[in-house]
Amino acid sequence: MQRTGGRPSRRSVWIPILSSIATLAVAAPAAPAQDPEEAPPERKLEVEPTQLELQVGDKAKLVARVVDGEGQVLEEEVFFFSRGRRSVTVDKEGNVEALAPGSFTIVVRTRRARRSDNDQQSRALLGERLTATVSVTILPPPLERIELAEPVEGVFAGTSSTLIVSAFDVNGGARPEAAVKLTSSDPRVASFDPFGQLLAHAPGTITAVAEAQGLRTELALNVLPNPVASLALAADADTARTGDVLHFEVTASDAAGATVTGVPVLLTFLARPDDDLGAPASGQIEPDGRFVAETPGIYTVVATCGAATARTSVRIEPRNVGGKLELVGRGEVFDTHTSDLWVWEGVDGRDYAVTGTWSANGDAHFWDVTDPTKIERIKTITVDARTVNDVKVSQNGRTCVISREGASNRKNGIVIIDVTNPREAAIVGTFDENLTGGVHNVFVDQDKVYALSAGRRYDVIDIADPTQPVAIGKFELDTPGHSIHDVWVEDGLAFSSNWGDGVQIVDVGNGIREGSPANPAQVASYAYPSGRNHAAFPYTNEETGRFYVVAGDEAFPYGLHVKDKPTYPRGWLHFIDFTDLDEPQEVARYEVPEAGSHNLWIEGDLCYAAFYNGGVRVVDISGELLGDLYRQGREIAWFIPSDAEGYIPNASMVWGPQPYKGNIFFSDWNTGLWCVKLVRKGDGR
Amino acid sequence: MSAALLLAGLATLGAAPERDYPERDYYVYVTAESADEVYLVHFDGQRAAVAQRIDVGYLPTEIEGPHGLTVDPDGSHWYLTMAHGKPFGILYKYTTGDNELVGQVELGLFPATMQISTATGLLYCVNFDLHGDMAPSTVSIVDPEEMVEVARTETGPMPHGSRISPDGLRHYSCAMMTDELFEIDAASFEVTRSMHLDDGTGGVAPRGPDGHHAAVTKPTWVYPHPTRPFVYVCLNGAAQVVEVDLDQWRITRRFPTAKGPYNVEVTPDGKRIVVSYKGAASVGIWDLEKGQELARIPTTRRVTHGVVISPDSRFAFVSNEGIGGEKGTLDVIDLGSLERAATVDLGLQAGGIIFWKVEDRSNGRIDR
Repeated sequence: MQRTGGRPSRRSVWIPILSSIATLAVAAPAAPAQDPEEAPPERKLEVEPTQLELQVGDKAKLVARVVDGEGQVLEEEVFFFSRGRRSVTVDKEGNVEALAPGSFTIVVRTRRARRSDNDQQSRALLGERLTATVSVTILPPPLERIELAEPVEGVFAGTSSTLIVSAFDVNGGARPEAAVKLTSSDPRVASFDPFGQLLAHAPGTITAVAEAQGLRTELALNVLPNPVASLALAADADTARTGDVLHFEVTASDAAGATVTGVPVLLTFLARPDDDLGAPASGQIEPDGRFVAETPGIYTVVATCGAATARTSVRIEPRNVGGKLELVGRGEVFDTHTSDLWVWEGVDGRDYAVTGTWSANGDAHFWDVTDPTKIERIKTITVDARTVNDVKVSQNGRTCVISREGASNRKNGIVIIDVTNPREAAIVGTFDENLTGGVHNVFVDQDKVYALSAGRRYDVIDIADPTQPVAIGKFELDTPGHSIHDVWVEDGLAFSSNWGDGVQIVDVGNGIREGSPANPAQVASYAYPSGRNHAAFPYTNEETGRFYVVAGDEAFPYGLHVKDKPTYPRGWLHFIDFTDLDEPQEVARYEVPEAGSHNLWIEGDLCYAAFYNGGVRVVDISGELLGDLYRQGREIAWFIPSDAEGYIPNASMVWGPQPYKGNIFFSDWNTGLWCVKLVRKGDGR
Repeated sequence: MSAALLLAGLATLGAAPERDYPERDYYVYVTAESADEVYLVHFDGQRAAVAQRIDVGYLPTEIEGPHGLTVDPDGSHWYLTMAHGKPFGILYKYTTGDNELVGQVELGLFPATMQISTATGLLYCVNFDLHGDMAPSTVSIVDPEEMVEVARTETGPMPHGSRISPDGLRHYSCAMMTDELFEIDAASFEVTRSMHLDDGTGGVAPRGPDGHHAAVTKPTWVYPHPTRPFVYVCLNGAAQVVEVDLDQWRITRRFPTAKGPYNVEVTPDGKRIVVSYKGAASVGIWDLEKGQELARIPTTRRVTHGVVISPDSRFAFVSNEGIGGEKGTLDVIDLGSLERAATVDLGLQAGGIIFWKVEDRSNGRIDR
């Protein structure tokens, strides 16, 4: 059925575009000049060839020499270097090797030929270097074959589908970027739209033709008669709230009433919003029948397959989950920026919090928050650091671990503090082995500390004896240029946020991959294109059983103002469905317009999200999640802190929240520690 | 410290005597490593002041750590290494006139000190990589015209003190964790020689669990003499500066210093060296011919970092880090009177420093 053409490889050939030796450099005086008053003789740098056109894997040779005004070759060394060394290399003999497609430059240069006076002034004078460049064009390997495959379910008249097109080069590499043109031998039976989608119009046979770079592949396609005579469409409910996910099920039948499967059915919808005064009526429907609406109104879902259609309507009500966050108390920090927080119940039964400081004096502040209306600063621990970015406390309430960046000895690492009595908190240990590049974030799980090392990996440190910490394990990706920002541990799984490498789930004792703190084992991962993954928090929805990881961005497209004026970050929360660990799907987002996400916490079905300039937000994440949660009216309440006396006055920059005993504590970069309480209204579900 | 040295240091604490002030304007750039800032400082012969503060970096909520600085030979651009990225550090290129960012290239882990060779026109930057694993690191070689890395040459663990010979043909750096001095051919990019820098006691450090000898002398800086075939190396862990004869390729003299010699620079006239004592909050000025410390001058912060010297050999500019929330400072040392001539507050952890230019107010002449 499939015929594939090809053409021979052009490996191991280089083409000197100019056949003669070219003089590329401006004439310069030769060395050494014995008399400064005497005009030195002319020198020229010649290189052959001046341009190269190669294919990946090809090799070539550059020959360079320095000649005087008479064309006599001078005994002067040249050296070579490539401005694209990962794509084209050149050694000191001028041997070139093409590694990757593109346009590149190789530089040929003489060293400064004349030794000038040896003082600092003359060292600053550029010598008489001669420089020439060679343009190198490396062509991608030519395509060798194109493969075409029809959809598994076949092609039916009155439907549309997408052929599977694959192109491969002479090295066997897949070339998804290859521009493949698709045409049909009989457009009356089936045709391709400008986007490569196959539109089947009538039963019959066509030859689908794929062409690229002179190659041609054909695929005989049989457009089958569409057996579907009727469609039935049903939803799992006829009313729902904005943000609730409905499921539409399509049943296709033939003329005899028998159920038909495997024939594509197109789903779409019409909307009549209650508010018709210019309001949008956005919704989202997936090919599998999941539907969610953002605006109250009547939504009519339509199914089509050939001549058969079906429709059904549903009523979407307002979600009505509003509420408000009321101020309970504050712990002011006006003299520095504040970083992260942790709130815990002390061994004495009272409640305490610790906050870090940013670009300051290495302080960690301890607070008594037993009465959150009267938050009291009870202790400050100062360490050799500029930023104490993260603070965590062990589950037993006895040990606090803080991170260090900017230590004067550049050893950084972590500091372990005994908080058995937070009013007399005292440093009991430090650990900086392999953490000298700075620790940005930590997590404490029982007697293990997960500490980031220089933004590359996390190390696992046993603090069973906090005076003698011992490194017992580490987890590091092996991707090019990998980096990491944060890690959170729950139920023996470590959830790390790894910028461009996205969310990484690692077994550090859960057992799902036989991992342990000493031997972390990767479980699953998911990355998204922006590369802004900064935080990750796991969440299992009890109602649906679905398991999500909520991944937060951090982005400062308009910069960060550390003094005097507010900052306007961007970024959002990505809801990634990890129910199938092997096939994670990003299904929803929560994005606050004109604000940027930072840390988050999930308790029950409520997500508490720090959105820097957008304050702290409480979001209803109950039920199945799909689409834009903000626009669906899932936001319950918000609180934007600011203070005219703040480190930056009147500028909200909420760093991180933590729900605790019915209140919500959060830290703000410019004003310190806050406590608010959520007051629900509406149905409050 | 001798009584004479002590007196010299104490003298700086009192009122400064009358000096002959040069009619010149001096400019240096200094990094604030824990504030992600670079300062352009102007010194008019009497007073030092911040001429401009430049915010640097691209990860706003993290300390990226601006560490190394250099100015190209024609004085038109300055270059800055940022220690941390995601995770690799970045070399930035700025114009010296208006301090505008004009280029950047990602290098290795913790790119640090660097210099441009007048012979090759290329920039040589050590990838300090102090992040833990003591594996050999590299020297990145960069074409500063296009801001592309053209080669990496492996040397030793935690290389530092990247400096070029006056003729531009040799690059020198130290491996802190193996007590080695490396020489690289600036044109072939190959290591041509290396040397173990011992402390002169004849002892050998015991081997650690990895089978390697622990670093003893921890060399942090190397600086070539402007006219003679010597380099001077700070042995931070041994409280020595050593003179290495490049023709014989051996240590020929040792200068016992205060605790923690960190940076050293030879005066352009070749007569003195100025050494920052990171562990002693002071700076030492040595007569090379006599091998004698002329003065040990306290600095204005506890952690003394870098030193550069003006082309007229008149002033040494010393950066001081401070600890925690202390502001960093720049001290200007008068190499004639051996006193501190001026001080200016900078940002947190003032470290990397480079001389840009001196302008003679009487005739407009500029030296670099």
